[in-house]
Amino acid sequence: MTKIIVDDLSLKFRAYHEGATSAKEYFANLFRTTKRAKYSDFWALQNLSFSIRDGERVGIVGRNGAGKSTLLKTICRIYEPSAGKVTVHGRIAPLLEIGAGFHPEFTGRENIYFNGTILGYRKEQLRAIEQEIISFAELEEFIDTPVKYYSTGMYMRLAFSLATTVDPDILVLDELFAGGDATFVKRGKERMYNMIDRASVMILVSHDQSLLRSLCERFIWLDHGKIVADGDVSVLDRYAAS
Amino acid sequence: MSDNKFFQYLSELYEFRFVLQQLVRQQLILRYRRTVFGYFWTLLNPLLMMSVTAIVFSTIFKMDLKTYAIFLFAGMIPFAFFSTSVTQSGQSLIGNEGLIKKVYIPKLIFPLGISVALLIDSVLTATALFIIILAIGGNLTLALFFIPVGYVLLFLFSFGIALVMTISTVYFRDLQHVVGIFMQALLFLTPVFYKPEALQGKVAWVIALNPLTQFVELFRMPIYLGVFPEASTVLKAGFLSVLSLAVGLWFFRRHEHRVAFRL
Repeated sequence: MTKIIVDDLSLKFRAYHEGATSAKEYFANLFRTTKRAKYSDFWALQNLSFSIRDGERVGIVGRNGAGKSTLLKTICRIYEPSAGKVTVHGRIAPLLEIGAGFHPEFTGRENIYFNGTILGYRKEQLRAIEQEIISFAELEEFIDTPVKYYSTGMYMRLAFSLATTVDPDILVLDELFAGGDATFVKRGKERMYNMIDRASVMILVSHDQSLLRSLCERFIWLDHGKIVADGDVSVLDRYAAS
Repeated sequence: MSDNKFFQYLSELYEFRFVLQQLVRQQLILRYRRTVFGYFWTLLNPLLMMSVTAIVFSTIFKMDLKTYAIFLFAGMIPFAFFSTSVTQSGQSLIGNEGLIKKVYIPKLIFPLGISVALLIDSVLTATALFIIILAIGGNLTLALFFIPVGYVLLFLFSFGIALVMTISTVYFRDLQHVVGIFMQALLFLTPVFYKPEALQGKVAWVIALNPLTQFVELFRMPIYLGVFPEASTVLKAGFLSVLSLAVGLWFFRRHEHRVAFRL
């Protein structure tokens, strides 16, 4: 079954040269006869078409600024396509960047609930997995402390345990993250692989060649917002050689 | 087709109701967390403000303090809700930038969360005020059953305008400051401190055209006079609410998908 269909997708970014416009400038500019260009358009994605089927593990490669993360964000509906269409069948779990939705004043436990609902969990489900998240993050003692008092490692462990409990249909990963001490990184990897195994589709953006090789069997090579190649591991080889 | 789309929009909002619930909780809890009086401040703050205002203006207007206090409280409740929800909604998308750029959430949730939290605040304040009103000699009347209807209309009206503010502030950040000044002016141009008839002459048309005049009446009639508001007031307020909500939703839906690029 086809899970994701990207059909002639284009995405235009508008780069504004002077930051936020103020109302004063806006009205002042209304009366200006010679208009300066205040922004320039930039096509971050251009006419992409591909589809991803059930069971596929797709790696997206390309240089910085090739549009990899933009493509992921468009698939996750954070960006609206400027042209073309993205159709997704199934529940997408975006991996929140470490602690993106954490509120510093809230305790660890409250953040689990807040972030959990954003990830699509119901309260009863969260109550069931809450303990597991806490014990994996090794935060039993501090779970009722506001996260702003957490050390960086504690913060990352909590964010990681929460993010990797999801049971997604379609898993979208932007650069694998890992934090904490060496033992946690090792346990974290295991948990990550388990989560990837549970997902029916996985899309991964990474620069780590060996990771890509071990996790994905299909590769899409992007450059300047266009697909250079789409295929098996030979695509990765060609990208690596380029 | 467009009906169908709108229905989809609503059902999606419904799917995210737990996020809304969490946002409201966050709003309510966070403000006074780790303060000694906690949530009590939410009540205390308007009570103190209104008491001082009541003492000053009842003296100026040479009115009986008790009568004037009830008059003022009844007008202040709807105005304060309108003012805070429009002002604070401007921050709702900007303040959640981190979240909006990382994960898909229907953006309407953010201003809605703020408005609902403020509604809860307002109802609690109104209840506390009403207990005081009763203590200083107000009357319990059947007309008070109208207050929930008044709140529904007030909420819809304020939320529509708040939606326009939410989007506009993302594009023009100056609006956060402009709206503060505007609300200050509006407070004096709305019959909150005085009766609508009191402002005669050149500016009388402001009172007549000011939509908030209708909403103040919705609350003042039952609380101050103990009678149901006139049908014409209710109709006008109802019309304004529907209009505001329709314009707000249209504006919000038209622009929300571009917001992620501008935050």
